[in-house]
Amino acid sequence: MRVPFFLILFTLTFAVFAQDYDFGKVSKEELQENYNPLDSAASATYLYKYRRTYFNYVKNQGFQLTTEVHDRIKIYNKEGFDYATKAIWLYKSKSGREKLNSLKAYTYNLVDDKIEDVKLKKDGIFETEKSIYYDETKFTMPDIKEGSIVEYQYEITSPFYTNIDEFEFQHDIPVKKIYAEFESPEYFNFKANTKGFLNVIPRIENKRGKITFTEKVRSTSKGFNGIGNSTSTSFETSEVEYTKQVNTYSLENVPALKEEPYVNNIDNYKSSVNYELSFVHFPNSQIDYYSTTWESVVKAIYESPDFGSELDKNGYFENEIDALIGSISDPLQRTSLIFDFVKSRVKWNGYYSKYTNDGVKKAYKDQVGNVAEINLMLTSMLRYAGLRAYPVLVSTRANGVPLFPTREGYNYVVSYVKIDDTEILLDATNKYSTPNVLPYRTLNWQGRVIAEQGGSQLIDLYPKEISNNSISMMVSLDESGTIEGGYRSLKTNHNALAYRESFNEADKDDFLEKLENKYGGLEISDFKVVNAMDISKPVMETYKFVKESQADVIGGKLYFSPMFFLKSNENPFKLETREFPVDFGYPSSINYKIIINLPDGYKVESLPAPGGFMLPDNLGLFKYNISGNDKMIQLSVESEIYQSIIAPQYYDVLKTYFKQLIEKQNEQIVLTKA
Amino acid sequence: MYFTFFMTLKNILAFFLLFTSTYIFSQENIYSSLTIPNNLKQGANAVVRLNEVEITIKAVNEMVVSEKLIITVLNKEGNDNVNAYVFYDNNVKIKDLQVLVFDAFGKEIKKIKKNDFKDASAVDGGTLYSDSRVKYLEYTPISYPYTMELTSETVTNNTAFIPSFRPVSEYYVSIENANYKINYPETLNIRNKEKNIGEVNIEKDISLGKMFYKIVNLESFKPEEYSPSILDLAPCVLFASKQFSLEGVYAEVENWDEFGKWMYNDLIKDTYDLPETTVSMIKDLVKDEINDIDKARKVYKYVQDKVRYISVQVGIGGWKPFNASYVDEVSYGDCKALTNYTMSLLKAVDVESNYTVIFAGNSQRSLEKDFTAMQGNHVILSIPNGDDTLWLECTSQKLPFGFIGDFTDDRDALVITPEGGKIQRTKKYKTEENKQQVKGNYTVSNDGSIMVRANIKSEGIQYDEKYWLESETSRDLDLHYKKRWKYINNIDIENINIDNNKSSIEFVEDINFEASNYVKKAGDRMLLTVNALNRNTNIPDRYRNRKYPLKIKRGFIHDDEIEIILPVGYEIESLPKGVVIKNKFGSYKTEIIPKEENKLIYKREFVVNDGEYPKEDYDKFRDFYKEVLKQDNAKIALIKNQ
Repeated sequence: MRVPFFLILFTLTFAVFAQDYDFGKVSKEELQENYNPLDSAASATYLYKYRRTYFNYVKNQGFQLTTEVHDRIKIYNKEGFDYATKAIWLYKSKSGREKLNSLKAYTYNLVDDKIEDVKLKKDGIFETEKSIYYDETKFTMPDIKEGSIVEYQYEITSPFYTNIDEFEFQHDIPVKKIYAEFESPEYFNFKANTKGFLNVIPRIENKRGKITFTEKVRSTSKGFNGIGNSTSTSFETSEVEYTKQVNTYSLENVPALKEEPYVNNIDNYKSSVNYELSFVHFPNSQIDYYSTTWESVVKAIYESPDFGSELDKNGYFENEIDALIGSISDPLQRTSLIFDFVKSRVKWNGYYSKYTNDGVKKAYKDQVGNVAEINLMLTSMLRYAGLRAYPVLVSTRANGVPLFPTREGYNYVVSYVKIDDTEILLDATNKYSTPNVLPYRTLNWQGRVIAEQGGSQLIDLYPKEISNNSISMMVSLDESGTIEGGYRSLKTNHNALAYRESFNEADKDDFLEKLENKYGGLEISDFKVVNAMDISKPVMETYKFVKESQADVIGGKLYFSPMFFLKSNENPFKLETREFPVDFGYPSSINYKIIINLPDGYKVESLPAPGGFMLPDNLGLFKYNISGNDKMIQLSVESEIYQSIIAPQYYDVLKTYFKQLIEKQNEQIVLTKA
Repeated sequence: MYFTFFMTLKNILAFFLLFTSTYIFSQENIYSSLTIPNNLKQGANAVVRLNEVEITIKAVNEMVVSEKLIITVLNKEGNDNVNAYVFYDNNVKIKDLQVLVFDAFGKEIKKIKKNDFKDASAVDGGTLYSDSRVKYLEYTPISYPYTMELTSETVTNNTAFIPSFRPVSEYYVSIENANYKINYPETLNIRNKEKNIGEVNIEKDISLGKMFYKIVNLESFKPEEYSPSILDLAPCVLFASKQFSLEGVYAEVENWDEFGKWMYNDLIKDTYDLPETTVSMIKDLVKDEINDIDKARKVYKYVQDKVRYISVQVGIGGWKPFNASYVDEVSYGDCKALTNYTMSLLKAVDVESNYTVIFAGNSQRSLEKDFTAMQGNHVILSIPNGDDTLWLECTSQKLPFGFIGDFTDDRDALVITPEGGKIQRTKKYKTEENKQQVKGNYTVSNDGSIMVRANIKSEGIQYDEKYWLESETSRDLDLHYKKRWKYINNIDIENINIDNNKSSIEFVEDINFEASNYVKKAGDRMLLTVNALNRNTNIPDRYRNRKYPLKIKRGFIHDDEIEIILPVGYEIESLPKGVVIKNKFGSYKTEIIPKEENKLIYKREFVVNDGEYPKEDYDKFRDFYKEVLKQDNAKIALIKNQ
């Protein structure tokens, strides 16, 4: 239903009654509210979310960052009780630590039509050292009931003024009112990066600020005779005036962000603003650039000692690479030799990073390294072998899409080689990864290729080549509905990578039992996997099988789906509507060639009609072909999704595509006695 | 001259090396993956080559635990079996911690010292606070197999928990040699209990002040569906001291009776300190109730509305409940605090109830009843009710009064009374109590779609499986029903109505939906799977070689009666026959009764009883399910009227 515009306005104004957002000024109306009128499914709602982050000058220490937080949360029902517990993480490093000050919190309840408040006491606050980088302060509110309101307020001071925590405007519960403010002195230039569906535009104004320096001045005067001596101390104050920029955000009725299946990373769609420091310029000193453009981001990363200079080292491997490629001149062969060498030489320790940690030399020696150590080492070896190789900055799926030029936008690095017109991406952290078949975690929009001079260009990380799964099956059906036959599948690219990861790392008997049970107790014999380790070829799985009850015997006729246990039964898309793109990670194709030998004395009474259908704009297709005589039936089924990502406007057609696919795969063949 | 001296020394060394080579060989042997017996490699991701545990109780408040573990990891999965971490807290200090890593041939390749371990808080996400911390190792293997030797020593002032001799507690791990030694002063009385050691190679040596156990050549355990848990299968020996200390609280207990008295007097009794106002409020609340159970029902409801569960592990090793007055003030607490709070409210209205220690979880793990020691991981409340007992789960704000579900049902628990402790079995949900009834109808259209009305009533454990649906959002409910009937492709749900009747403990769901193309078409025929609303889609997993007995923890009854209205223009070509199956696992019965024109009644009853059977019965049990699945897919063939 379309709601006329004026009606929306009306509802909005209606919903906003006079509110007092001062700490402690909780109203009866707020306490009486049984559900959120704009989202009745919400178990809790932020009635008010306040955050102010600003710079202040501390004598002898310089600038530091202060963040004030004030939240007021309405809890509607028991599912919302989790919001009565709050955890605050405080970062620390060798150079300083964040501190939590002036925490106060209350629970409000309506008892006999009177507002009662209960204060959070000290014994309800717990401090824990989580790791060497983080401390945690956690508290849970007393006297929580359905309908309670929780309100807390605190302040965090931080010496890490180059890192401003993201201002998040959207949460897993709705927010009724947000006020956020970020204030920075003219010496610090920040860039605001906004993402998400909401229209968030700050109001920007300039204000005057002032720092008062007080300095002690000591003067000593000597007496004429050189004996007496008097010292006097005086204070001199000086003032520095400056401009500060104040950005304020004021939002109302922000909807909750809800999870959906096949979403790459929900954070990509969350409304937020991130302040990235671009430069620092104090009076009478040089400008210190951080980053604002992709060029400066790339430059900053490249010039970091844990990136660029690590890439330039090659003394540690020269002898072994010389021996490895000495007699080979073909650049493709050189590439694959070096790629395999790095994969077998250095094992990934599970850490993502675009910077080296212990350095490439130590990683080479210890045979263990993080992502940067492994892939920067690979890149420099390839360069040493005369190839045009470059590191590529990547943001993993879990890290989200790098929408803005920030150094934190990238958290991973892979390698890129250009041989004539062939472009190859390599990641040596996974032993089953092959050229242009990167691990799933890296398949996320675009990476940034860094050239020797520090320039950069974008490269698509979603694979262009389709990952195939080709299945052929020979089946003999008997008149009781039991089938037996042979199965073979050939998997390429990402399908092969995923298969190798699950097959090679598991107990073989266990793998086989799981496979049998996946198909409801299929009985498998002569199970064989070819090229499990030879990753240059597709991986092939073959076996013989027997399975009962694969046809319905009704009134002397046999009814069955020609795909038997291989048919799809469940639509992966069950939600009625969808807001975010469907992300499959890579384009894929699955096709079946099935030959069915009919039981003696039966003939075909009816076959499903051949047919097919397509997704619009060349996103995918489905084809179904069937033919047969009295001895056997031949079936060919193909389904292909050509794109890694499908936009939400195609959701309905995609859902219908899977619905039709399942219906077609379930269509029945009817056999009658000849 | 110096030169000669060195030569001599070198010769002496060579001589020594030669002389001791057999010794070195047998030592190195254990670090090499080549020497693992074949039967231990089978079905194993890791092999424990040697596990030596030595417990030295120096005094009632001082226990030293030293452990050496040599484990060969065969593949990536096996990394998880190394368990290279040590927990500590205010009462457990780590004295020594070291790791050596060896390659496949037993050559040492790395040494890791205590300071190279990472240190972190051991609080999981669900816990608000605990002082438990952990030192753990992050190690990336260069290749497989590799062997790791872990040496650790901890000292604690708690002797209430003496580590058990449990050589294996994880699947896919086999044991070459595991031994355990405990030394203790003769002034202490140490008891032990051996479990599941019938079929293993075990050696023991018991004398005054010393006990020794050794197990060799133990093949790996593999998980199997419908089997007892590994705890009930794997060998272990439990130990406990009659005299022990728990964070400075001394105890001397011989049997459950004394144990109960000690817990009651030293940990629980002094926590009943409800403020007067609360006492009079609760008295007033139940003043109209005459019998104790009705009073308890009101008190339980009051607690459910007032408090919530928050895990906080502080004070006496997390064993002493918070004071009732504290819970009264903050309205939250862990299982001990909330149980104790409920108990003190009941006490205020003169209803007897008892603090009960139990192992919680679906697996029905019992307390070892013939072995008095600190056990359990959860606390519930029991209320004597004539010959019967009512059990209350005080951490839940949603469960009906007296309903404990599969979390604490049918297992031995320790009931603590002021007179002492006793072991009691919690409520068992019998087959006939776990009932689900489906009543409804569906109409098949000419185009193959169906319109369905279903009414589903669930009781007992079937209630437990569904009651949480009450608080789901409509979006999630829509998804839930589409998943429950996942074998129906195009469900479009029109209406969902849920009634959670807490007093009768019944959960009633009314759902209407439509599904296009439900019927499979083949030429002029329609194939209609009769059972649309309660199809069994699962067959128990098949094992080439079943090892463990068959165990069905809880029985159930499914009872369905559905009216089917057939499409106009079609007639029945064939109808599936009714089926009756009866065996020791349960029964299955279907019937299709034609009514007036175009109308059928489908009846189905599926019963599975709880019970334990030898492993040979597993295949028959599986066949039963296979047959049920087949019959649940029985189809009516309809043909177009000519």
